[in-house]
Amino acid sequence: MLVLMLLTMILLAGADILARSLFGGGILWIPPLLRVMVLWVGLLGGLMATRTREHIAIDLVERLAKPGVSRYLLALTSAFSAFVCGAIAWHSKEFVLLAREFNDIAFGNVPAWPLQLIIPFTFGLIALRFAIQSVQALTNRLPETAS
Amino acid sequence: MAELVPLLLLVLALSGTPLFVVIAASALWGFYQTDVDLMVMAVEIYRIAEMPVLIAIPLFTFAGYILGESKAPQRLVRITDAFLGWMPGGLAIVALVTCALFTAFTGASGVTIVALGALLVPALHKAGYHERFNLGLVTTSGSLGLLFAPSLPLILYGVVAQQMALDTPVSIDDLFLAGLLPGGLMLLALSIYSVMQAPKSDQPKPPFDRQEAWAALKDSAWEIPLPMIVLGGIYGGYFAVSEAAAITAFYVLLVSVVIRREISFTKLPEVMRDSMKLVGAILLILAVSMASTNYMIDAGIPEQVFGFIQQHVSDGITFLLLLTLFLLILGMMLDIFSAIVIMIPIILPIAVEYGIHPVHLGILFLANMQLGYFTPPVGMNLFIASFRFNKPVMTLYRATLPFFFILLATVLVITFWPTLSLALL
Repeated sequence: MLVLMLLTMILLAGADILARSLFGGGILWIPPLLRVMVLWVGLLGGLMATRTREHIAIDLVERLAKPGVSRYLLALTSAFSAFVCGAIAWHSKEFVLLAREFNDIAFGNVPAWPLQLIIPFTFGLIALRFAIQSVQALTNRLPETAS
Repeated sequence: MAELVPLLLLVLALSGTPLFVVIAASALWGFYQTDVDLMVMAVEIYRIAEMPVLIAIPLFTFAGYILGESKAPQRLVRITDAFLGWMPGGLAIVALVTCALFTAFTGASGVTIVALGALLVPALHKAGYHERFNLGLVTTSGSLGLLFAPSLPLILYGVVAQQMALDTPVSIDDLFLAGLLPGGLMLLALSIYSVMQAPKSDQPKPPFDRQEAWAALKDSAWEIPLPMIVLGGIYGGYFAVSEAAAITAFYVLLVSVVIRREISFTKLPEVMRDSMKLVGAILLILAVSMASTNYMIDAGIPEQVFGFIQQHVSDGITFLLLLTLFLLILGMMLDIFSAIVIMIPIILPIAVEYGIHPVHLGILFLANMQLGYFTPPVGMNLFIASFRFNKPVMTLYRATLPFFFILLATVLVITFWPTLSLALL
């Protein structure tokens, strides 16, 4: 899905430039759609980076600490991350509900709330993934990552 | 209790909690303290979808990953070698120029060291350069080129600075112009050092070979238009950054996958996913830091920090000196993207109070960060190079030291001579 979205983005962005330079006017719905896709691609990419633990972090302690200690640290930091992302997911759900209630419009006559749904969706899954990693780290069953 | 929270967050950050989580937590805590509905987090995250220039980030990142996976690095080395190889220290200059160009297009994510280092280190060795020099050169070059368009850190700095609503607007085009001379100065300084370090062998340098030059040109026929279109388009003012990104992504995809077929259709999704992981990591940090920035500005934190600094630092020169020191340490610990989104909202308003031009601040900030990439003991590129070339990190500390001092000198020039950055605006 991520791959398809990225391909679509590249094609749409290209088409928009072509339309603007050849016909003197861009296609109205492309730029706002592209902006929303940036959000979607970014959040989905963030979800994938969570799975492979490739988020940007200061790994000073991890580099210095013994494997036994760093396992517990990972369990702790993952549990904390799960909590924070869960909180964001919960509160963004309210945000989406509100947008739906007030019939917020994203662009054209596309309602905003289905587009915003990605925020609670990805943050919820990221929280879940962190929670799983926390348990895995505690029970020492964490799969090795490439990096 | 309330005082303990920032400390706790700092400890968590140092223990390896993903930075976006730490920033989000601090924003949530701040909003919670001031009785703001936490829904505001989602509002801020959704603002990612309201900034047109951000389209450049996934598109350029994707193009960079594709370039890194294709055989473009080999061709880039071949063509610069054909044209610059005959000069004394030529091969070292080739290495510097190719790395700078490659980093500008791919961002300083270590891709340069991994993709180009493997080509350049053996080539330099064969030409008789000292091993320590080779390692130092390639490790240093891994972050060279950050100041040239269309580097992602420059774009990101522009995005963050534009959120601050300053009196002097910061346009990304201005940043691209401002980076030219300082980046050129770094290249020049390192080139001079390379010429001095060139092996004084008896064997004559290969003369300029017209046939090889022509063959190299033909070989890179598909790549040559790319920097011309992108750089010419941006610097000539023909199109905006996001359009340049769209053209680059489209063009690179077409050339590497359809025309040259260096990346198969089965490999493509993997490259795409890898590039989008980086994009996700950057955008998540950017999204949550917009929330924390918003909170910090509401709470007047930059003013408080400024008030505190002003008690101890009266003039801009001392401020810049302290800032340089601070940024060097920061650059070691933090990757460039998080450093920009976390620190710029605090530093920028303060720097403006001291009369520093926002564009100049961006350039000196990035120049310092570039140095931080290989500042011992924990600069990131030192570890990447150590891993890539299978050398102990200590060897790399020694190898990069002369380069470090040369670039430190240029960073100081860039910092204290604003004209260099602002002359072209």
